Amino acid sequence: MRTHRNTKARFVFLLPAAIWVLTFTIFPLVYSLYISVHKVETKMNVSREKVPMLDESGNPVLDAKGNPRTKIQINREKISTWTNIGLTNFKRLVEDPQVHSAIKVTSIFVLVAVPSQLVLGILLALLFNQRLWARSFLRAVMLLPIFATPLAVGYLFFTIFYEEGGPLGFLGVPFLSNPDWALFSVILVDIWQWTPFCFLVFLAALQGIPNELMEAAKMESKSKWGLFANIIFPMLTPTIVIVLLLRLAEAIKLFDIPFALTGGGPGVATQSMSFLAFRTGLRYFDLGYASAMSYCLLIIVMIIVTLFFRKLRQSYA
Amino acid sequence: MKLFKSLGLFVSACLTCGIATAADHHVKWHDDGKVDLVMEDGTTISTTREELGSLFGPDQKPFDGVSISVTVNSGGPKGGISGPLYSFRPIWEELTGGKLEIVELPFGEHYTKMMLDLRNGTGQYDAFMVGAFWYGDIVPNGYAFPIDDFMTTGEYPQWTYDSMPQSLKTLHTWEGVGYGVLNDGDGQVLYYRRDALANPEWRAQFKKEYGYSMPVPPKTWQQMLDISNFFNGKNWDSNDPDPDSGTVLHLKVGEQGHYHFQSLSASFAITPGPELDQYHNVYWFDPTNMKPLINSPGHVAALEFLQELHKTGPSAQVGWSLGEAWDYFLRGKSVFVFSWGDVGSLCQDTSRSKIQGVCASSILPSSDTYYDHETKKFVKTTNPVKVGNTTGGSWHGVISNYSANPEATYSLLSLMAIKPASIWLAQNGWTGVDPGFTYQFLEPQGEAGLGDYLDAGWSEADVKDYLKAYYETFFADTFLPYLRIPGSFEYWDILDKNLSATMSGEISAKQALDNTAKTWEQITDRLGRDQQLGYYQSAIGYK
Repeated sequence: MRTHRNTKARFVFLLPAAIWVLTFTIFPLVYSLYISVHKVETKMNVSREKVPMLDESGNPVLDAKGNPRTKIQINREKISTWTNIGLTNFKRLVEDPQVHSAIKVTSIFVLVAVPSQLVLGILLALLFNQRLWARSFLRAVMLLPIFATPLAVGYLFFTIFYEEGGPLGFLGVPFLSNPDWALFSVILVDIWQWTPFCFLVFLAALQGIPNELMEAAKMESKSKWGLFANIIFPMLTPTIVIVLLLRLAEAIKLFDIPFALTGGGPGVATQSMSFLAFRTGLRYFDLGYASAMSYCLLIIVMIIVTLFFRKLRQSYA
Repeated sequence: MKLFKSLGLFVSACLTCGIATAADHHVKWHDDGKVDLVMEDGTTISTTREELGSLFGPDQKPFDGVSISVTVNSGGPKGGISGPLYSFRPIWEELTGGKLEIVELPFGEHYTKMMLDLRNGTGQYDAFMVGAFWYGDIVPNGYAFPIDDFMTTGEYPQWTYDSMPQSLKTLHTWEGVGYGVLNDGDGQVLYYRRDALANPEWRAQFKKEYGYSMPVPPKTWQQMLDISNFFNGKNWDSNDPDPDSGTVLHLKVGEQGHYHFQSLSASFAITPGPELDQYHNVYWFDPTNMKPLINSPGHVAALEFLQELHKTGPSAQVGWSLGEAWDYFLRGKSVFVFSWGDVGSLCQDTSRSKIQGVCASSILPSSDTYYDHETKKFVKTTNPVKVGNTTGGSWHGVISNYSANPEATYSLLSLMAIKPASIWLAQNGWTGVDPGFTYQFLEPQGEAGLGDYLDAGWSEADVKDYLKAYYETFFADTFLPYLRIPGSFEYWDILDKNLSATMSGEISAKQALDNTAKTWEQITDRLGRDQQLGYYQSAIGYK
């Protein structure tokens, strides 16, 4: 009897979470899958009629000459047509050069930005794990970029990278007008913003390594590199995997910075998959194709996440 | 305590009276039928009761308590297109008793927000200050409110389509029905530095280098490129000690860079002829089958030419929007810019411009070689035809069919369209409203007097050139057809991305336009070729 009541209570406690997941995760997921295999067209049938204009008490409103005023009432009938087109949108993905380019841009971004953030994050964490002048102050300053909105960061760096009279204009580097430099600029901004996050987590992990262990290792190890390679790095590995996973999932969805900094250009040099999906769905209103793109992205992220979780489980084992 | 209370009451009463007095000052009704519309900064526009329409009067508040919202490209209270809404808001609110909410949206987001509102049926906005190329997506789908009935009642502020050249009138109507309320007339013209091109030393040096006298203004694009090349890298402007450029362009992707290509390529890619048929006066698609013409040899030649022209300007312009490019020209850094009417009037704004009085304009040059779509050959000509354009958005108000108050909304838009308001808007560069209507052109072509413009702070030489350039642009015999079909935004966005890739050196001109044509074919097939063909034929007047 007690067990039965416990089961009921468990269901009650799980209900909000279940509703949340069903409403905000499962439903949009299923709905976007449904859209991706349909062509959606909307239009409106309209008729208009003149009706008397009434005041708050229901009396006719009169014009300057004392005639009753009329107003136009619009009768609207919204028509949405959903045509099943099967896997056409998914086939388009394979042939679309814009998709190929967006995958290339996203891949380069992920492969350069994320490892750079991890390496810099570890180096900074090692540095700040030592006794340092004004350490607390510098640590606080280091963390500031995390709190900025990526969109605002994009606009900020637009002014910094401005080639004619911007603060870095004297370098003569075509930060935004050259396709390769533009992608590099996007990567640079992302590194600037997210390295502090990696640094913060690694610093916490470093400070979690027991002092006794470190002291013993220092006595055993002949060099600092040996200490790092044999003790610190293995101890940090689970944290690195988690940070890598979080940053990968985030980086693959790259949108805000190119949106604000380069508009995806020049050409499509900084147009990521998310940006392309946004453009397709909300500028061209080709919702089915945009959903197919998003699904493609989702599948890629899921594969990566699964692989990493497997790796994580193995490393813990 | 009592004293403080009384003092407080007195101060509040004074403030209330002050506010009321200020609020009542935006419209002054005179006994002789004249009405002064007074803006926040004291600028007065004079009109008459008749011109304002029968709905308005000293004791009338026809839309008391009604709130409307209008979307516009963001620019702020002194920004292009958005600024006039702020200027006219207090006047309209006082005239009607209504409330106006101005919703500013970034250029790149405006279309998206509008379409989301219309497609989802949210009905959040009563009107949109649209670009004419959006018509294909809003009118056939039943989202736009026709205004012809309002125009004939005599109740609303009076204006007419007859004051527009046919080229602009077409952009405000759809299949003969009026939807757009007169506001802005967009078209691109050439701006050049009068002083540099007239300088005898530069002229002599140019003749020596190029073997012919520098034509002012250049009649062909090829001449313009020579002049642009000649001045590029020389310090011909005394405003700073640095070298200056030839031509400045605004080429940022997702902004308005593709318009440069449209205007420039027209005379390369259009085969002139007395009538519009399958081969003549067409630019975008073959009007018999919707096959793209955008990768025709004429278009490719034009894009290769634009690449050459780009080399005579700052390389950073690949990432520049309008503001940066215009500012570069206004600071005296380039000999040429070809852009919208805003530049001409901004030249007169000495807070931004160092070139008032030397800012000359002309209709865009033409190419001395064009592609003949019938013979499939290039034709070299010594007398190229002038090709007009309405390139741009001609940004103006269209009422949403979801509006609960189309009457109130129309009263606002039409108030900004009355003749004295329209003249004032065109005379002030910051408004973003460019000239295009008969009463804005100087006599004898139009009705405006030179004095009006001189009073508004224009240089005489500049304004004469400017209005002549626009008159010739809008009334040209050969014209760049305007793309107004469903999906125009997408067609242009694809073109824009490919052009940007070319200008940044990623791909060749041919490759860019071939890519564009291929994607356009897919868009046409997706949207329905027959439907698109019908709309296209109707939009360009193909029979």
